[in-house]
Amino acid sequence: MSPPEIKGNLQLRADVIDRGLCALCGACAGICPYLVAHRGRIVALDDCAVERGRCYAFCPRVATDLDAASNAVFGAPFDTAPIGRVAQVLMTRAARENVRSSAQYGGTVSAIVAFAIERGFIDSAVLTKSDASVLPAGVLVRDPDDVLSHARSNYVAAPTLAAFNREARREEVRRVGVVGTPCQALALAKMRASPLENRNNVEKLSLVVGLFCTWALDLDSFTRFLAEKTPLDRISKFDIPPPPANVFQAFSDSTSVSIPLDEVRRFIRPSCNVCLDMTAEFADVSVGAAEGVEGWNTLIVRSERGRELVDAARAAGVIETDALPDENLNHLKGASLGKRRRALANIRQTTGSDDDLLYLELCAETRSRLLAE
Amino acid sequence: MSFGSTAERTIDMANIATFEKGTSQLLMGNEAIARGALEAGIGFAAAYPGTPSSEIIGSLAEVAKDAGIYVEWSINEKVALEAAAAAAFAGVRSIVAMKQNGLSVALDYLMGLALTGTRAGIVLVTCDDPGALSSTEEEDSRIVAKWACLPLLEPGTFQEEKDMTRWAYDLSEELKSVVLIRGVTRTSHARGDVEVGERVPPLRQAKFEPSNPLEFTSLPAPFKHLAANQKIDKAREIFESSPFNWYQGPDKPDLLIVTCGSGWFYSLEAVTALELEKSVGILKLGTTWPLPEKLVREHLSLAEEVLVVEEIDPFLEGNLKELVGEDPSAVGPIKFYGKRSGHIPVAGEINPDIVTAALARILDIEHRPVQPQYSQKALALTSQFTHGRMVGFCAGCPHRATFWSIKNAIKLDGRNGFVSGDIGCYSMAVGPAGYWQIKTMQSMGSGTGMACGFGKLAEFGFTQPVIAVCGDSTFYHATIPAIISGIYNRANFTLLVLDNSATAMTGFQPHPGTGRSAMGEPAPTVDIPTLCRALGVRVEETDPFDLTGTTDKLLDLMRDDGGVRVMVVKRECALVRARREKPAYKMRIDVERCLGESCGCSRLCSRVFQCPALMWDAEKGVAAIDSVLCAGCGVCADICPSGAIIRETA
Repeated sequence: MSPPEIKGNLQLRADVIDRGLCALCGACAGICPYLVAHRGRIVALDDCAVERGRCYAFCPRVATDLDAASNAVFGAPFDTAPIGRVAQVLMTRAARENVRSSAQYGGTVSAIVAFAIERGFIDSAVLTKSDASVLPAGVLVRDPDDVLSHARSNYVAAPTLAAFNREARREEVRRVGVVGTPCQALALAKMRASPLENRNNVEKLSLVVGLFCTWALDLDSFTRFLAEKTPLDRISKFDIPPPPANVFQAFSDSTSVSIPLDEVRRFIRPSCNVCLDMTAEFADVSVGAAEGVEGWNTLIVRSERGRELVDAARAAGVIETDALPDENLNHLKGASLGKRRRALANIRQTTGSDDDLLYLELCAETRSRLLAE
Repeated sequence: MSFGSTAERTIDMANIATFEKGTSQLLMGNEAIARGALEAGIGFAAAYPGTPSSEIIGSLAEVAKDAGIYVEWSINEKVALEAAAAAAFAGVRSIVAMKQNGLSVALDYLMGLALTGTRAGIVLVTCDDPGALSSTEEEDSRIVAKWACLPLLEPGTFQEEKDMTRWAYDLSEELKSVVLIRGVTRTSHARGDVEVGERVPPLRQAKFEPSNPLEFTSLPAPFKHLAANQKIDKAREIFESSPFNWYQGPDKPDLLIVTCGSGWFYSLEAVTALELEKSVGILKLGTTWPLPEKLVREHLSLAEEVLVVEEIDPFLEGNLKELVGEDPSAVGPIKFYGKRSGHIPVAGEINPDIVTAALARILDIEHRPVQPQYSQKALALTSQFTHGRMVGFCAGCPHRATFWSIKNAIKLDGRNGFVSGDIGCYSMAVGPAGYWQIKTMQSMGSGTGMACGFGKLAEFGFTQPVIAVCGDSTFYHATIPAIISGIYNRANFTLLVLDNSATAMTGFQPHPGTGRSAMGEPAPTVDIPTLCRALGVRVEETDPFDLTGTTDKLLDLMRDDGGVRVMVVKRECALVRARREKPAYKMRIDVERCLGESCGCSRLCSRVFQCPALMWDAEKGVAAIDSVLCAGCGVCADICPSGAIIRETA
């Protein structure tokens, strides 16, 4: 199998943006004057004449050699297991109560990112913040104490990697971590694997904390919908409580609004429907809720880098760990596999062929294993 | 004569008001017309600038004090004509000049004036622009003479430009009618020798005193219409003996060329080039409406084949055929060649080559007017010294920055917004200089008028943001009524007034925003933001060189749906500024930082932003700055993604 072709800005627009496949990860944004992220869209301000661009090379929705991406992160080919490459699965939570209460679920992400900065694993981290109009964007955090102020979950797609592209250029940033969704973890893996001369400062990328993700919402249509229910500038937190609640909650000051999840699902970005990855399989560690265990996270340790950090955090008493009950692990695997199956079905429905899997450029073996599942 | 400084030059050089009688002067056609008006003793001159007419009133403005006359730049051509007519009604000879589009603006009043007539002489000069070299249309003004019953003169030589203008005042007063003089770009802007006559100071006995209550109205219209037709009959008689009509050629030509205006020199050159002096005659007409019938019939009867040479429409050709048709036996059978036959093109400018080719074709002469591959050879030769680019904005032009922000705001907004454009330098944004942003462009003020319509289409499913643009001079000229109409009818659009503090396209004439009159005196200023705020709409102001600020403000205005919003984008024309000040910045390229053609840049500055001072050094693979062209505006430093364009305080 020859490596997937790297094309330019015009083809990225034709292959991804114009087809509604853009995941809004932000990997193509802010690396040149042509592509920018603006209010929930990647906007092409002008035509670029470069034939092989980073924008195309990094995009998680163009032809992707998953083995090459996996090799760049783990030194091993893509693992088709239901939740990807796994070194260890744990149930964790932040040791400090105030971290847990400010964060979503167990506060593990905030705890380990702050710890990673404190201990010099990284000197800064790209996180996602929301402004008053629920407009999420990437932000660079250098002070561990600031990590907690960006601890909330965003359900609206955020071009966080545009901030990596922007901030990693700075000389004082030498070892940067990124907290992101599965598509963002894949884009960063592609960045590492990219054969292009311009490395995009990816050598400074020292940690990727992946977030479990089933889908993200389209900013423009969803915020217009939400604004009719509650003033956007008062919202302090979103949540989707575990089943059987089946609602989307928006908290503001002292009140909260509950919206039936089915109503919210109408605003899922079409790109999420072709995403195979629920657990951020290309991250060093991946974190999500531990369903049914309030106040705890599920944490998947994937890389050696990830294992070192988690071990150190546990040893330092920053996080508490426990074994994840088998029932939960099986449930997680089932959910992950479910997302993968739905995505493959959607892809095949879109292309009308088993041979054309849109952006998935797979070796015969991987392809047959994925399709067999 | 000294060329040391502007001040010295003004003192030393004779001007069109001070030339000595009997001397020969090298004058631009428009200056010759202005001199002719001074020799006629005009007291009042008014116009709205418009290429190729602008220098007529412009050159009078420069000498207004020497000549003791009043000159103004009016708000538009209609007001100019009205003001000049008022002077004439009060007994002061007046002149008004405009380009062909301007005549359309003035036409409503001109129709009434044609029936009303005049007391003192009034001449309306209209300068057509065949080929639309500096226009958005190339209509032929002459049809208005026939339509409005007005006598029409077309000068064919530089001497005639002056002499005809001088004589037009006597004609105007004899007929009690406005007289039209029609020029074209080449007769207006070319220069030739003119022997000047005596300049007459204006009479100073202005008084408005109607001899009857309706004298200065067009009423009763049928009566005045009949009178206007009678004036044309009288003009026909006068024209029979006009020295501006003459014949040159053999007594019995094989072919007769009938021509007027610029066609005279072109025809003469063609006949000479083909050595046809003995077989082809030229009837050169200076009085083209009404035609001197006897004179014309007399010459038509000499030839059986007639070629009509004229610019733009077959106006003369049609009138000749009409004349022949009235009494065919008087002239005998004639085969006409011209625009109808396809020998002279109906669009674009004509030239000696075209006339030569037409003659050769009619007379079946072997002739190649232009060397084969001439244009390729010329291109090959000149391309060594220039690099190819389309018509565009000057280096440092605020419009380039403005359209950069407009382009980005429209893209970021994402709802397929677009710009309805208007007439001015910024009209060039229909092309790459303004990133192809202007999508409609017709006439002065029509950008906002169009927005009044686009902005009312919501109920038909229209969701695109509408942006109208106009310049500062265009704002005063014809935009104000459209804004008020938009406000009244709750049209949904954003108007950008691109205020460069000059009527830049036509030569930097002052206007009501500049605080200066045509005659160089201080004048009251009509402030655009203040006026718009008084209309009760949201008004923002921005500096176009602040790209981010301008883009953000425009984005916000576009989202602020409902009603009319105005943003005044203000920055002085780079050429006006350059006459007064040194560049603000010295620009240079940091070649270490320049990414050139690689990913992350792709030559944004020279390939997309396209300031003419930004060059691409293909050999070194880096951007370069043409320090001769660079106006030092500094904007390119803000668009360079790698900070390789360095802005140093000059």
